[in-house]
This record gives sequence, structure tokens and C-alpha cells, in this order.
Amino acid sequence: MTTAYSPSSDLVLDEAPRRLGRAQRAGIALLVVIALFALFGPWLVGIDPARQQLERFLEAPSLAHPLGFDQLGRSMLARLAHGARLSLSLAAISVLSAAIPGTLLGLLAAWRGGWLERVLAAFADAVLALPGLLLVLLLTAFTPGGFWPLYVGISLALWVEYFRVVRAASRILLASPHVEAARLLGFGPVHIVRRHLLPELLPRLFTLMRFGFAGAVLAMSALGFVGVGLQPPTPELGVMMIELLPYYGEAPWLIGAPVLLLFLTLLGLLLLAPEREAA
Amino acid sequence: MTTISSRAPAWRGIATALAQRLLQAVLVALLVGTLCFFMTRMLPGDMAYRIAAGRYGYDMVTSAAAEAVRLELGLDRPWLAALGDWWQRLLQLDLGVSQVTAEPVMVEIERQLWPTLRLSVLAMFLSLLVGPLLGVLAGLKPGGLLDRVTLAVSVVLRALPSFLLGLVLVLVFSVKLGILPAAGHDDHGSIVLPALTLALGMAAVSCRVARDAMVQVRGSAYFAFALTKGLSMRQALLRHGLRNVAAPVIAYLGVQLVYLVEGVVLVETIFAWPGIGHALVHAIFGRDVPMIQGTALVLGLMFVLFNALVDTACAFIDPRRGAGHAA
Amino acid sequence: MRRPAPVRFRRALLAAAGTALLPWHAARADDRGQPHSHVFTAAAADVLTVVGPWEMTGLDPSRAGYMFARMEVVETLLDVDGRGRLQIRLATRWQVSADGLEWRFTLRSNRRYHDGTEVTPESVLACLRRAHGRPGVLSMAGIRSIAVDSGAIVFTMARPFAPLPYLLTHSSVQILAPASFDARGNVVKIIGTGPFRITSLSLPQQFNVERFAGYGGLPIPGLVQRARYISVARAETRTLLVESGQADLAFSLDPPSIRRLQRSPKAVLLAEMLPRTTFIKLNSGHPLLADVRVRRAISLCVERQGIARALLRDPDLGATQLFPPSMRAWHDPSLPPLRTDPLAARTLLEQAGWRLGADGIRSRAGTRLALTLTTFVDRPELPLIATALQEEMRQIGIAVRVVIGNSSDIPAGHRSGALQMGLVARNFGNLPDPVATLLQDFGPEGGDWGAMGWRNGEVPGLLQRLASGTQAPPAQQQADRARVAAVLQSELPLIPVVWYRQVCATSLRIDGASIDPYERSYRISQLSWK
Repeated sequence: MTTAYSPSSDLVLDEAPRRLGRAQRAGIALLVVIALFALFGPWLVGIDPARQQLERFLEAPSLAHPLGFDQLGRSMLARLAHGARLSLSLAAISVLSAAIPGTLLGLLAAWRGGWLERVLAAFADAVLALPGLLLVLLLTAFTPGGFWPLYVGISLALWVEYFRVVRAASRILLASPHVEAARLLGFGPVHIVRRHLLPELLPRLFTLMRFGFAGAVLAMSALGFVGVGLQPPTPELGVMMIELLPYYGEAPWLIGAPVLLLFLTLLGLLLLAPEREAA
Repeated sequence: MTTISSRAPAWRGIATALAQRLLQAVLVALLVGTLCFFMTRMLPGDMAYRIAAGRYGYDMVTSAAAEAVRLELGLDRPWLAALGDWWQRLLQLDLGVSQVTAEPVMVEIERQLWPTLRLSVLAMFLSLLVGPLLGVLAGLKPGGLLDRVTLAVSVVLRALPSFLLGLVLVLVFSVKLGILPAAGHDDHGSIVLPALTLALGMAAVSCRVARDAMVQVRGSAYFAFALTKGLSMRQALLRHGLRNVAAPVIAYLGVQLVYLVEGVVLVETIFAWPGIGHALVHAIFGRDVPMIQGTALVLGLMFVLFNALVDTACAFIDPRRGAGHAA
Repeated sequence: MRRPAPVRFRRALLAAAGTALLPWHAARADDRGQPHSHVFTAAAADVLTVVGPWEMTGLDPSRAGYMFARMEVVETLLDVDGRGRLQIRLATRWQVSADGLEWRFTLRSNRRYHDGTEVTPESVLACLRRAHGRPGVLSMAGIRSIAVDSGAIVFTMARPFAPLPYLLTHSSVQILAPASFDARGNVVKIIGTGPFRITSLSLPQQFNVERFAGYGGLPIPGLVQRARYISVARAETRTLLVESGQADLAFSLDPPSIRRLQRSPKAVLLAEMLPRTTFIKLNSGHPLLADVRVRRAISLCVERQGIARALLRDPDLGATQLFPPSMRAWHDPSLPPLRTDPLAARTLLEQAGWRLGADGIRSRAGTRLALTLTTFVDRPELPLIATALQEEMRQIGIAVRVVIGNSSDIPAGHRSGALQMGLVARNFGNLPDPVATLLQDFGPEGGDWGAMGWRNGEVPGLLQRLASGTQAPPAQQQADRARVAAVLQSELPLIPVVWYRQVCATSLRIDGASIDPYERSYRISQLSWK
């Protein structure tokens, strides 16, 4: 991942790495494989994930059906593929729709300062003090089983972190001599943000996005646990984990599949991070 | 550059931070209150029926019962007037009466708060015991065996949902080994497995944070200087290293508290631990809005309080940063 | 030399944590010093632990009264045995006047409440009047007044109602001591008359009981002195409690857990078929469902055996009619069973004018055949069955949207007319004589848990006749019941899916466990230690 060169004047911010280490390459490879599975898996597998054959319930894996059948006789591989696509895209959209407004608001707060910043900061603190799960629960309670409350809820719960990180880092950066010089030279805010702030912010944002991603998928399973998850027969990784939990004794591969997929995704994201990253 | 010696913490910084936390507490209360109010109005379906079902059990609930509930609770007043009432009551700390059990919400919360506090404190304690310790040891030899093992384990723990982790622990310790109870709250050691489930998830993160901080400290100038001065590794660590490692760990505690508060909700349900999280889940099932409001409020305020404590601890550890300056 | 700051800090932290743990240690004063038969997990050797999903939402008899009745803390005027026959309990005798409008129940003398006070007719009257004044079973009966007359309780009825004694067996009509109520009439303590009394109560999750020394009722064969009930919401946790030896009786297990426990050496499983049926409640007034052919088509596409085998792990539970075999008087073996025939279902829909569209869903004159199926999570198998039904209906061309909510959505939808299809599990054994329940469900306006929008002339009249008919000969009553069952089978305002078998896991420590088919008692007074 190449970045524009921009020197940092503060010990707090490290330089972005220049070359990809072995771990990073492994991480990228893993994520690419998972992304391909999520994108093309449903089409490749070709089986309807909702089609049930009750007489084949909990059938063990075989060559024709590598993951066997679930408790309703539905093809587990098809459900996993569709579930991966749904969950990962849901998580990605939630994270992005948290990151972009959060970053923009953070930049805005840091740039303008004054009362606007204080108001935003206070609001962010208040939202952060609400357990994120509760916020999503409240929103999903309005329209049970819908997608939009989940997106909005998870994004609302996540945006605060981006806001705070971006605001804190931007404040330092905006006070640096480089930015001052750029301002004096007459460069506009867009340019300054693009050239000076974003390259420094992106690594930290990326860290947040990593954990936010896993958090979003786990939030879906928490919602399924409480009973306000997506409606059947939608295949989704988090809900599948809950649904298949009772069968951990007689068909452990069923719950193992979504858990493993999530673990590999998180591992890939984790490996992408540079070695000497500060917390 | 000097190391952080035992200078007095910036009292002014602490006072500002605490004032900020107080403001946050008020804002939390208002936000929770508003959301819960709109929930009463906008939940699909009929509130009265939900409450009646929660009260009488679903075999007994009928339309007549729901009508009785509707009259009793006055559920059809205009919303603006009701919102005003809601604000007033909330600011007077009148949390109302549970719509399912008809007990005052305050009484119910008092009953449930103590088990949750016990669980949270023990979980926090266990995670601080395990996480930073392993992190520091791993950071002393970056790239070594312990480092890689802790990385792998921490990724696994972060990717596992808490209920799966709880299940695994119960299978190992209760079913196979038979040394700890699987659920409930009044057997010997009932608190251990729920606390451990929470602690492991949190320790996974604090371990990595401590490790990264340790690596940074070890690579820093003052640490090298301490070693050159002639201090042994252990002395250098104790005198100069740990405080600098503790700073980000304590600061990160604030973020982990989110995990704790959310984890408490799930873990209490799995282990049938009679705390606030358990009550919140049941309140949501029963659409018992005063209880939802009460428990969410308590959880939110608890979070603010713990954050305030973390800020104070931060200030004591690292007077440079001042209080309230989380990562 | 003063310790450097970081060490001091750490020690302070440890000390703080240590003090935080102290109250925990102190608060655990109860089970100390008891000999443990198991290593750590089992309770004290002589405390019987019962676990179930039900929670105490309050102390009022109409709320959680059934839980105290099951743990034999409270009693009712009458009881039923395993076959549904009335037994005496707090009342020794009962008789009804010739016109059926007056009932007399003679009370047993020399009975005492747990606080030592005597069971007087006045105290019993107060409880009955209270139960009558609240929503509950007594409101079905048309009672005009209740009074005391020379030591007996007298019910004056507005109309004859034969099942009245069965209503008095319901746990919401339990008898509590006057000291249980506060000045405003709310229940603040549970002081009953049963063989066990409450020693500690931590709402909503747990309560402990012990033997009541002054119990003057029926003889108690069992040896259990102390017991406790713990409410555990997740089915997996209940199973794990049995497997770890912590629980002695566990109820409401989900089918995968039953499978596991069947192979476990730590538990013995008991099973009993209950008079509970899972069915699809249809809004027969809805334009799409008013046509009986559509209802029959839906019934034909339900794979009852498949659902019973795959989801409930019990192939015998596929319902052939609404009433399960355990309801002996109502189950009619000669009735042609409901069958599964997707082809016939499709034919029926075609005959009714529904043509298959390009997306696989049928439509007629521009209207899609799309319906919602409402269900709830209170019973863990219901959402799963709903998912299976959704797919089965899709195969014959009906688009179904499953809405999982709270159990109160069903009565709410019934009342507002918004309910289209609901997946419900109805306990016909709510009262040992189902007539009262069925009257509620199939009355002229239908019932919250029964028919909806179904206009039928025969069934309400038959049920009324059965309810009042003390004079009708048994053969006539049998014919009436058979006719009701036959009409329900043919018109299908409710589509039966599966029956229900209660499975209870018992640990190896206890002897003599059995399941009460009416779910009125855990029968802990019959249990003894091995």
C-alpha cells in the first residue's frame, strides 16, 4: 500500500510503511480468496440456499456436498456462500458508512474548532456512552427483520470512534508547520486534507475499520441472540452461528464453517497491518 | 528527557475531565430517555398486548387482559404531552414502574446491579491480570514464540462470539472436569466462568496493546539509557518501563469498557446470571420500556463512571497527557 | 526505601480488586459446609435443583402462580390426576344443584397455611373473589357470585357451566394466606398450603423451598427436604446444567439437546405427550384465505412427518388432526388423517383460480398470493417450524414472509384483524377439561388463540351444548365431540402441524420422577434420593 510522502512532526504519528512484508502479502491473499468466495461463491455453487429437503437434515459432508446439510436439509455450502456475501457486504457498508461521516465530521471539528467542535464532541461522547448493542436494538425494534435499521444502527454506534480519532489526530496535524505553510501558500482545505492529513490518518482509520468489521458481524449474531435478527430464511453469518449453536454436538462442522470464515477474515485483516503499529 | 517520575498529577486536568464526564452522563440520560420514549410510540404492534403477554404468560393472554392493561397504563395519550411528562420524570430520577412485573424500576435495578458490578469488576481484574502480563512478556521478545502464540490466541478470541467462548469454557470446566458450575449464581464459584468469558475477550486486546507498548518502550531512548546506566533488565523495567507501558493500557481500558458492557448483556443471558444485562434482554423481549430505559441508563452511567475512573488513573500514571485524553 | 510508583500503583490495584471480591465472599453464606457428593458443580447433597425456562414476572397468581404450584408451594381447591380425573385437595366434596346454577364445595378442616394460621372459609373466599375479579379462567364460567355458607364455598352461576370444577384446578385460582396480601390487595409473599414452603425468593430467577413440617394434607412418599427452582433462558445451558450434574430436573429441552442427553450416562430422560398442538392459525376472513380450497391446499403442502422427524426428532409427532392422542375424549382415531400431497395442493390452487407466475408465485387477477406468517421466540422450535413452512408453501406458489415477534402479536393481530397466518402452540390441557378452552377458541367471534373470521354455525352451538350439558347422555356428548373434530378437520380454520412431547431430563441422583401431563406439578414430593 503506497502512500504519498509526508513527514510527520510528532512522535505520536509513525511513518507509513513503504514495502509489503510477508505477513501483509499473506493477509491480502487471504482476503482476496474470501472476497472471491463471497462474490462468486453463490453463483458457482448454484444451489438455492432456501431449498430444503427435510429428509436430509444434518446429513454429513460428502463429495457432492462438501459441507453437508443443515437442520432443515438446506445445502450448507450454498448458505455459507450467500451468508458470506451478505454479512461481509453488510459489514463493509456499515463500516464505510460509519467511517466516512465520522472522518468528515472529525475533520470539520478539527478545522473549525470552537463551539462546533465542542458540540460535536459532546454529542459523540453521549452516543459512545450508549451500549452500541442497545442502540441497534432500539432501531431494529421499530422495523423488525429489516436491513436498513441494522445498517443505520451499526453505523451510528461505530462512527464515534472514527470521529474521535480523526479529530485528535487532525488537531495535531493542523498545528504542524507543514500545514501552516500550505495555508499561507493559499492551498484550500481539500488539498491540505488530501496531501497532509489523509496519508497520516488512513493507517489509524484502517486499524479501526479492521475491528469494526469483525464487530459488525458479531453484532449481527448478538442481535440474533436477542431475537431481533434478520428474518428467515436469510442466510447471514451471525444468525447462522446462533441457529446452528444447538447442533454443536452432533454436527460441529455446521457451526464451525461460519466461525472459521469469520476468523479467517479477521486474520487476514489483522495480518495486513504493519508490524510496528502502535495501539 | 526525563522519565515520568512521581510528580503530582494535574488536578486541574482531572477536574476538567470529571466535569466533561458529568456532562456526558446528563447527555446519556437524555438520549436514552428520548429513544425509549419513541420506542413506546413507534414499536410495531400494540404495546398493551405485549405487556399483557409478558405479565400473564402467553397461554393466558387475551384481548380482555390487554384492554385492562391499556386502561391501567394510559397508553393512548397524545405524544407531545407524554414526552414532556417523560422528561420531567426522568430528570427527577423517577424511572417508573416495570410494565411487566409492576415493581418500581429502581427496586428491580437495585436488585440486579450488584451481581453485574461483581461480575464486571472480577472480569476487569482477571483481564488486567492476564492480558498486560502476557503482553509485556511477549513484548520483551518481539517475534518470539510467546509473541506469536499470543497473537494467534488473541485473534481467535476476538473472532469468537462470546457465547461460543462461554460454551467452550462450560464444556471444559463444567462438563468434562466438573470443577465449576455451568450457570446460576449461588453455587460455589458460579461467578468464575462468566467472568472468565468476559475477561478473555478483553485480555485478547489488552495483551496486544501492552505488547505494542512494551516494544515501543524497549526501543526507546530512555530505556536504552537506563540499561547503559547499569540497571539490570528487571530494574529498568520496574522503574522506567512499566509506567510507560501502563499508560496506553489504562487508556485503552476506556475502549474495552464498551466491550465489557456489551459482553455483560450476552454473558449474563448465557450463564443465567441475574444482572442488569439479563434484565435488559428480558425487557426487550417483553417490550417493557421503563425497564429498557432503566437498564440502558444504568449501563450507560456505569460506563461513564468507569471511564471517569480510568481518566483519573490515566492522570496519575501520566501527568503529561493530562486527564481525559484517551487515545 | 519507598517503592517506586508503578509498583505502588499495581499493589493498589490488587488491593482494590481484593476488596471488591470480599463482599462476594461474604455474601455467599448459604451453602457452606455441606458435604458435596459431586466435586464442585453439584448443589449441596440434599437440595433438589429444578431448571426451566419460565421466569417469575411477579408474585401474583395470574402471573407466575403456576411456578409456585409446580413446586408444590401452593394448592388449589381441586386437583387432577394424570388421566384428568378430578381429585380432592383443599375441598373434600363438591356438588351441583339440579339446575346447574349452584355449586357447593366443602372445605377440608384442620389445614394450616405456612405461617401457622388456619385455613378458614373466609380466607379461601377472599382468594377466589380476587381471582374472579381479574382476567383469568374464572371469567369464562359466567359466575354471578361467590359466598360462604356454613363452612362451604357456594358459587352462583348465571348459566349452567359443567366444567367449573376443572376451572378450580387452575393455578391462578390458588389459595394464599391473608398475610400474603398487603393493604392494597397485592401479593407480597407466597404463603400457601402445600407440602413445601418458600425459604428464599430472588425474583425473577430463583426461589428455594423446604419441607413444611405442619402439612396436614395427603401423605408424602418422597424424601426430598429441600429444593430450588432456577430459571435458565437458553436451552443449551439447561442441557449443560444436567450434564454437569448441577440440575436434577430439567424441562423444555430442545431436540438436539435431547439427542445428546440420550447418549449421556449422566441423565435419564422421561417423555410424555402433552395435549399441546402446534398449528397455523388462519385468518379465514382474509380475502386470500376465505376460500376453503386455499386452506386445504396449505394443509396439503405441510410436511408434517418431515418436520416432526427433522426438527423435533420425533416422527410420531406429526399431527393427523388437531387433538393429540393424549386427549382421549377428543381425539378421533377414525377421522381420515391430514396428509401431505404437494401435487394435490397445486391442483387445488389452480382450481381456485391461482395461476403460477414467472417468479414461481401464484397470482389471480393481478393479486399475488403473498401472506405473512407471524410467530414468536418464546418456544424455541416455532421459528424453525415457521422457516420450514415458508419454504414448503413457496414450493406450491405461495410467497410467505415470516415475522418473528413477541407472543402478544397474535392476540393483537386477531383483534385488529391484521393477522394473516400465525404459528401458535396451544395448550388444550390448560384446563383439564378442554371444553372451556375450546369455547374460548371457537366461540362465535373466534378466539385470540383459535379461529379467526371463521363463520360456522355448528361448532359454537355444539361446544355450548357440551359446556352446559350435564343432562346429555355420554353417547350424545361423544357424538358432539366427534362432530366438532370432524368439522375442524374439514374446514381447517386452524391447520395442525405437529403435536408436542414434553421431555424432562432427570439426574441419576433421584428416584421416582414422572411428568405431569397437565404441567401442574413437578411432583417433587414423590421424589427420593438414590
